[in-house]
Amino acid sequence: MPELRKDPVLGRWVIISTERARRPDQFLSQLQEFPPEKPCPFCEGNESKTSHEVYSLRPQHTPANTPGWELRVVPSISPFLRIEGDLDRRGKGLYDVMNGVGAHELVIETPKHIANMADLSPEQISKIITCYIDRMTDLEKDFRFKYVLVFKNYGWSAGGGTTRHSRTQIIATPVNPKRVKEELIGARRYFEYHERCVFCDVIRQEISVKDRLILDIDGFIAIAPFAARFPFEVWILPKKHSCDFTRLDMSSRYDLAMIMQKVLQKLKKGLNDPPYNFVLHTAPFRRPKVGYWKSIDEDYHWHIEIMPRLTRVAGFEWGTGFYICPLPPEDAAKFLREVPV
Amino acid sequence: MSELRRDPIGGRWVIVESEHPRLPEDFKYERHVFQGGTCPFCYGNESMTPPEIESVRDASTSPNTPGWQVRVVSNKFPALQVEGDLERRGLGIYDMSNGIGAHEVLIETPYHQKDIPDLLNPEIESFLSMYCRRALDLTRDRRFKYIMVFKNFGAAAGASLEHPHTQIVALPMIPKNVMEEIKGAENYFEYRERCIFCDIIRQELQEKERIVLENRHFISFCPFVSRFPFEVWIIPRKHNGYFCHMSLEEIPSLAAILKETIAKLKTIFPGLSYNFIIHSAPVNSASDDGAEYYHWHIEFMPKLTRVAGFEWGSGFYIVPTPPELAAEYLRGTEVKS
Repeated sequence: MPELRKDPVLGRWVIISTERARRPDQFLSQLQEFPPEKPCPFCEGNESKTSHEVYSLRPQHTPANTPGWELRVVPSISPFLRIEGDLDRRGKGLYDVMNGVGAHELVIETPKHIANMADLSPEQISKIITCYIDRMTDLEKDFRFKYVLVFKNYGWSAGGGTTRHSRTQIIATPVNPKRVKEELIGARRYFEYHERCVFCDVIRQEISVKDRLILDIDGFIAIAPFAARFPFEVWILPKKHSCDFTRLDMSSRYDLAMIMQKVLQKLKKGLNDPPYNFVLHTAPFRRPKVGYWKSIDEDYHWHIEIMPRLTRVAGFEWGTGFYICPLPPEDAAKFLREVPV
Repeated sequence: MSELRRDPIGGRWVIVESEHPRLPEDFKYERHVFQGGTCPFCYGNESMTPPEIESVRDASTSPNTPGWQVRVVSNKFPALQVEGDLERRGLGIYDMSNGIGAHEVLIETPYHQKDIPDLLNPEIESFLSMYCRRALDLTRDRRFKYIMVFKNFGAAAGASLEHPHTQIVALPMIPKNVMEEIKGAENYFEYRERCIFCDIIRQELQEKERIVLENRHFISFCPFVSRFPFEVWIIPRKHNGYFCHMSLEEIPSLAAILKETIAKLKTIFPGLSYNFIIHSAPVNSASDDGAEYYHWHIEFMPKLTRVAGFEWGSGFYIVPTPPELAAEYLRGTEVKS
């Protein structure tokens, strides 16, 4: 019997399909096909091929936009949103419009031509995490922005483009994205009723039940979520309650890097180097103002959602927001627990 | 400067790239090519599917044999099961229930290689009428709260079988996106006492720049807040919450506009894969309204781009081709007949 499961935060139902009964190893990624590669603009030595860096980790004596760096942040060459200008909110008949103001940056995670973050060292990933935090803190100073999205598209079919050099995208938006708002509202609703953070409750239940637990190390857990949308979807959550990723202290940054690297390695080894996306979910900027949402600190809990791209999302999912997951998350978690790293 | 646009129904913001828009020739999409091979939906293979639920067939033929024009069968690998009780229950902090529902497949034509633009209008009318009949029949089961009709054409759009077919799913709860759309329409109605979709139709007909086609009963247009390049909606001029309550005069009109809209898209993008979904009001709900402020329509999504991490995480879409430009291309495209 297939099961319907409800995401406790968003209230989204998913169908966990058991009838099609595919075993976890039947989801292995096809060999990724990439179009022929052009010279990589992100490699050390090609700094002139990108926009001027806005941030870098490099020895003091090396000038900007020259070799010698450990990681670099550059504005996107083809940005979705532009940094200059005013929002100029306006109506157009019954429609609402504003200018596409925002920031769109790329974090070049390594000077070497390495495609998958899984293959970087925890030390390097920890530097990348610090870089995210520094960029987010900087973008928060711009009062036009409400939210910063940090996400990664790895692999051609996950939208990673043709250049196989590991990088993360950072986008600052002038509005709170819909998904983010829904998650905040869902978490607040749970908190109002229970006076507890829903994510803290999820963590407690997952640690005690263990079925969906993949890793539990040094203050972080990796789980296959109860209402997973995709086979092998993985969430990483800090056990200590915090709504704001940018408040993560130095030693926890290394712990997060460790668990991220382990999870990404498990996906890579276990599933044949699949394309994936990950998205950081964190609280929006909390600037005191009228209508300021005071409870976010208590009711929201930052986390990372990792989505391997092993199946295609079809019309059904788009139209309804009702996902069919062909693999129970318990089976996915068991499979991933057993992948040695 | 790109533009941020807000969906007046769901409140979603999208980024519309107007400065360097992507033109049709800029899209590198996966072209659909029919592979052929043994197909359970072709004539003579009726025994390869579960028994038919309903069909349009020659009078002298018996069920599950050749001689049909439209055939509806249960999905061989259903996502939901028809038998049993919903049995809602908790599991610690989580909520769940049994996967009760119906999952049917409607085979639109016996011709393996004929997509909608390749069919005759009466053939399209015949399967559209069947959509309505199946929806009305499934609505009689009080356990079902939403009837979802959708089509995936081409592997890139998620179709696992290439023979043209539509899926009909009856769900025991109202899906989240539908609920949001209904709520959005309800809010608008409360404030203005008008249907938001009727207002959209009026504005689109007046501005004209996003209109693709108009006929007696329907219009097709690229929505102001598209999520995908060349997204097209087909909507009836007359206010009506449920597609299955469409009148007999409306069906030929719908067949014609559906055929021509898809034909135009496939002329610009040969071998295009696509999805379409019929959006209709929920059924068997306690507050059985919806019909007043909701307005059924078809959302048509060409598969030209990949949805990436940004969209997943944020629900914030980037549209590389402004809908005004897409509509202009579509209006200007002559369909060879």
